[in-house]
Amino acid sequence: MLFFILTTIGKFLTKDEERDRALMARIKARDATALSELYDNYNRLLFGVILSILKKREEAEDTLQEVFTNIWQKAEQFDLERGTVYTWIVSLTRNKSIDRLRSKVYKEQKKQSTSLDDEDVFHPLYSDESDPLENTILTERAKIVRDALNKISEKQRKVLQVAYFNGMSQSEISEEYDIPLGTVKTRMRDGMLKLRELLAKDIEL
Amino acid sequence: MSNENNKFTELCAGHVLNALSESEEQEFQQLLTQANTDQIQLLNEMRAAAAELATLNSAETPSPSVKQQIMQIAEASSQKKPTNAPVHKMTWYRLAAAAAVLFVLTSIGLVLYSTGLQEEVQNNEALISQQQSTIERLETEVKRKEELLTILEARDVDLVMMDGLAEMSPNGYGKVVWDKQGGNALLQVANIPSVPIDKDYQLWFIVNGQPISAGVFAVNDPGIDNFFKIEQLQSSASEGAFAITMEPKGGAPQPTGDMYLLGNM
Repeated sequence: MLFFILTTIGKFLTKDEERDRALMARIKARDATALSELYDNYNRLLFGVILSILKKREEAEDTLQEVFTNIWQKAEQFDLERGTVYTWIVSLTRNKSIDRLRSKVYKEQKKQSTSLDDEDVFHPLYSDESDPLENTILTERAKIVRDALNKISEKQRKVLQVAYFNGMSQSEISEEYDIPLGTVKTRMRDGMLKLRELLAKDIEL
Repeated sequence: MSNENNKFTELCAGHVLNALSESEEQEFQQLLTQANTDQIQLLNEMRAAAAELATLNSAETPSPSVKQQIMQIAEASSQKKPTNAPVHKMTWYRLAAAAAVLFVLTSIGLVLYSTGLQEEVQNNEALISQQQSTIERLETEVKRKEELLTILEARDVDLVMMDGLAEMSPNGYGKVVWDKQGGNALLQVANIPSVPIDKDYQLWFIVNGQPISAGVFAVNDPGIDNFFKIEQLQSSASEGAFAITMEPKGGAPQPTGDMYLLGNM
């Protein structure tokens, strides 16, 4: 099914992926200009991802720098068999963001500043802006994903959204929304299975 | 879907959304080590689907300094590796270490080689020395035989046969081949006793009742024929006798000891 997702989200994805793989090959060969190009392609998307989780620009910029330094230093670890360059970079970005979010230092800082529950905190979920991303291919992909999410039950969708865009763990979601932990897990599992299925189905259409 | 597979799927969904607790993440990583192909595929597909969610984020622009810092780091390390080929630069200390190792190995090799050569040389020297003494012994023998042969080859020689005396050497045998012209003689003796360490045999030429010393010799192996060259035995006498007596070491002016052999011309 991955094949369908990749080759079919695909009519949009292929062109980007070809470009990204060529960039990764150059990065592995220590071509710094390739890293510069990769940065130009993804920095706004990734910065949005990081900021939605960490909320603070300074922390988010530090994390973005860490992500691209990692891409440069660990390019050899990128494995084509496991997925696209896009998936690798986004997963890496989220891992770094979540690691920082859950670090003791960050939690201490958070206590002393704003609360996530405050209304004025930078708190973007997914965007309904007309052109959130300058890349038209990414914009098309966003439309497909949005459509897919709309086909998932609201309860499942909400769990996926707060987990993904706010970086909340299952137990945090359980506490925050007063939902039994087991139910959170079930909704997350069923929601992800459905999303995976829908993205593949959309492609087949 | 089996319970085990159900567990994997549930943890997998939490994993791709980074929503597991630490212990659950460890549990998932443990399951992943034994995961089958379908489970790996499920993970890759869920990860790809989750990553697509990122496209829904509102894009934000970071400060330009972020890229500058990233590029500084990249370019700095890029300059350290100017080529793609894995060239291993030899620094001076590595070169020195390599040279030292090479030197030590070469030295050990040379010492072993030299020790081997030394042993071989010593063995060869011993062999040469042994062969040299053999050659010297043979040369002496040849020289002595040549001298004896020279006496035998003389055209005019007198042959004097000596017999053992009944008391001292009943089976004794002696022969003198005398080259009067050359003044040399060949003495052959057999079956006379070995001389004690403080004694010698002495050959006497007796002419007109007067003994003249013709030389001293020792017999150490009575079982074989012993040959001796007698030098400066000059006389014009046509008659006389030869006798052998045992005398003090180095001989005596006149015969004093027992007579062992006697023969007339």
